[in-house]
Amino acid sequence: MADAFDVIVIGSGPGGYVTAIRASQLGLRTAIVERSELGGICLNWGCIPTKALLKSGEVYEQLDHLKDYGLAVEKKAFDFDAVVKRSRKVAAQLNSGVAFLMKKHKIEVVEGFAKLEKGSPAPTVVVGDRKLTAKHVIVATGARARTIPAIGLEPDGERIWTYREALVPKAAPKTLVVIGSGAIGMEFASFYRALGSEVTVVEMMPRILPVEDEEVSKAAHKSFEKRGIRFRVPASVKKLSKTAKGVALEIEAAGKAETLEADVCIVAVGIVGNVEDMGLEALGVKIDRTHIVTDSHGGTGVPGLYAIGDVAGPPWLAHKASHEGVHCVEHIAGLKPTNLTSPIPGCTYTTPQVASVGLTEAQAKEQGLDPKVGRFPFRVNGKAIAAGETDGFIKTVFDGRTGALIGAHMIGHEVTEMVQGFAIAMTLEATEAELQATVFPHPTMSEAMHESALDAYGKALHI
Amino acid sequence: MTGSGPHGRIIKADVDKAQPASPQAKAAAAAPASAPAAAAAPREHKSLEQMGIAPGSYDLIPLDGMRKTVARRMTDSFRDVPHFPLTIDIEIDELLAARAKINGLLEKTGVKVSVNDIVMKACAVALMKVPEANASYSPEGIAMHHHADIAMAVAIPGGLITPIIRKAETKGLAQIATEAKDLAARARDKKLKPEEFQGGTFSVSNLGMFGIRTFASILNEPQGCILSVGAGEKRPVVKGDQIVIANVMSVTLTCDHRVVDGAVGARFLAAFKEMLEEPLRMIV
Repeated sequence: MADAFDVIVIGSGPGGYVTAIRASQLGLRTAIVERSELGGICLNWGCIPTKALLKSGEVYEQLDHLKDYGLAVEKKAFDFDAVVKRSRKVAAQLNSGVAFLMKKHKIEVVEGFAKLEKGSPAPTVVVGDRKLTAKHVIVATGARARTIPAIGLEPDGERIWTYREALVPKAAPKTLVVIGSGAIGMEFASFYRALGSEVTVVEMMPRILPVEDEEVSKAAHKSFEKRGIRFRVPASVKKLSKTAKGVALEIEAAGKAETLEADVCIVAVGIVGNVEDMGLEALGVKIDRTHIVTDSHGGTGVPGLYAIGDVAGPPWLAHKASHEGVHCVEHIAGLKPTNLTSPIPGCTYTTPQVASVGLTEAQAKEQGLDPKVGRFPFRVNGKAIAAGETDGFIKTVFDGRTGALIGAHMIGHEVTEMVQGFAIAMTLEATEAELQATVFPHPTMSEAMHESALDAYGKALHI
Repeated sequence: MTGSGPHGRIIKADVDKAQPASPQAKAAAAAPASAPAAAAAPREHKSLEQMGIAPGSYDLIPLDGMRKTVARRMTDSFRDVPHFPLTIDIEIDELLAARAKINGLLEKTGVKVSVNDIVMKACAVALMKVPEANASYSPEGIAMHHHADIAMAVAIPGGLITPIIRKAETKGLAQIATEAKDLAARARDKKLKPEEFQGGTFSVSNLGMFGIRTFASILNEPQGCILSVGAGEKRPVVKGDQIVIANVMSVTLTCDHRVVDGAVGARFLAAFKEMLEEPLRMIV
């Protein structure tokens, strides 16, 4: 059989392609099936191109504050096409990077849409007129934006956008309404606001960034409002319709009906798993609300069939997908994957940035953990003051009985680059003692991490 | 407690999984991140008085280092290693005859080969034939030892120690006898270097000289097996339909079930028995 593999990975996003590389490293003959672009949403339509846009926005917005640094610019302006072009160029570079990695690891890339048929020892993968067989098949098909056509929340390619359309617009809208204040919604709100759009964000939950710690949500709300972003929180969305010039969004907030008019509406109301049309149901794969139900190694219960990443459920994050994929394929290869509990950090690349890992203070209390909480603001951190980036703080949550670090929450300049420190600490099952005994370099914003851990036990030094 | 984390590190999951035996252990489990080692704390100890031994009715000998080590290692091993004994009877008439012959040949050199020396040599050769018995359990995997480093239990004042005949499978009987004699003598004088009694792959304990018929030793971690050798004695043996007298020695192999399953232990004993009953096999 020419087309017999050890492992076939379906989907080449950050879950799929990393899984394929690890499989190949473990000596498994590996193929990867992709229906559109190598690298999936993350590289082409998600994580990476949005970061490119956000950087342009951030630099542009920074020009308003040049005076604070003793600098001046005569006239500020932007070339919107060039901003978008740069973002696409960045995505293209990484896309070809994945192609290189596939070649380097001798992974066969099969272009097309994969369907699954009954087979042994694993389901057969049918791509066009090719039938591929393998000992193990890993579904890593990811997820896409949720739409709700019944009330008009559906992209029209012109005035109603999902993240996809929002990445490649012809021009920045003058007025924009964003539905949903999760990471995706807030990042676009932040970007378009930076380029001068009038932005209103509508959130159904009682606060923005609803998965974050309440204090961080509140601080973020304030910072974004200061930048001119308006909010309707909490508000329920009744109907989105197109008007002659743009869109009209009917909402109800604080018991009052209101209609928000804007040039463009971005729909960021969640994610649905890509589980359709592959024949999963016929194989007996269990699907719960558009996500494949899996065990701790990604097993679906169908012999030889696994699922990892977004399609296997939240959190919908690239690094979670890669982590699951590596774990799954190491398990398949007969290695004993580590049984460490690896917490999954989450990052939002707005201005200011938000990052967190582990339990919020409220979640810790719900679990009866009697948390000890520390906080440290950047406004008294030397490096932050020197850099003029004093917005935000770091909050740490410890288990009151054991001292174990169980959560960390931060908002401020480049905090997404710091959260890994706490992720390492949690993976190592560190307590306040290890964090307090760690020497943090001066002057850095990371000193606030140290101070926060000290503060939880009443030992903060610089406040 | 064995750690299931990287490099055998004890992690929270191990502590959570452990069944706390005493209130102290329970308290330790409740504080896993800050005091994981406490979960393995010794069990609560009652004083001798609490257990009905009147004060003044005994002399108390303080625990020295060796006694503490023996107590700790044996307690850990007996409690934590799932062990089982396998006993087999071995006819040793031919072995005794061979030994007499060998010692005759060696007379001029002054070396005298004991039954225990032959037992150790036979163990080493049998371990090469059944390498699964020459193994150690570790959370990372089963260590299959390349050589048979035979540790021999030597009673010394105040305790015991297990000096090692390294690579015994490569050594002749005369060399094993010479080394064993030297190690035992230096063990009694407490002159062994640590590397001479640490790190064997298999142990032999012999209480035959005390007339003990069979016994089952406690495993010497991390070794997968220990062989307990009883006294060689004349016993009635059924051969065909006849009861005859033969010299018989019973040996018991205690196995760590995590590495050495019953069938593996039995195969080792079969190979070992074959060699002692027909000593020439040791050199073929």
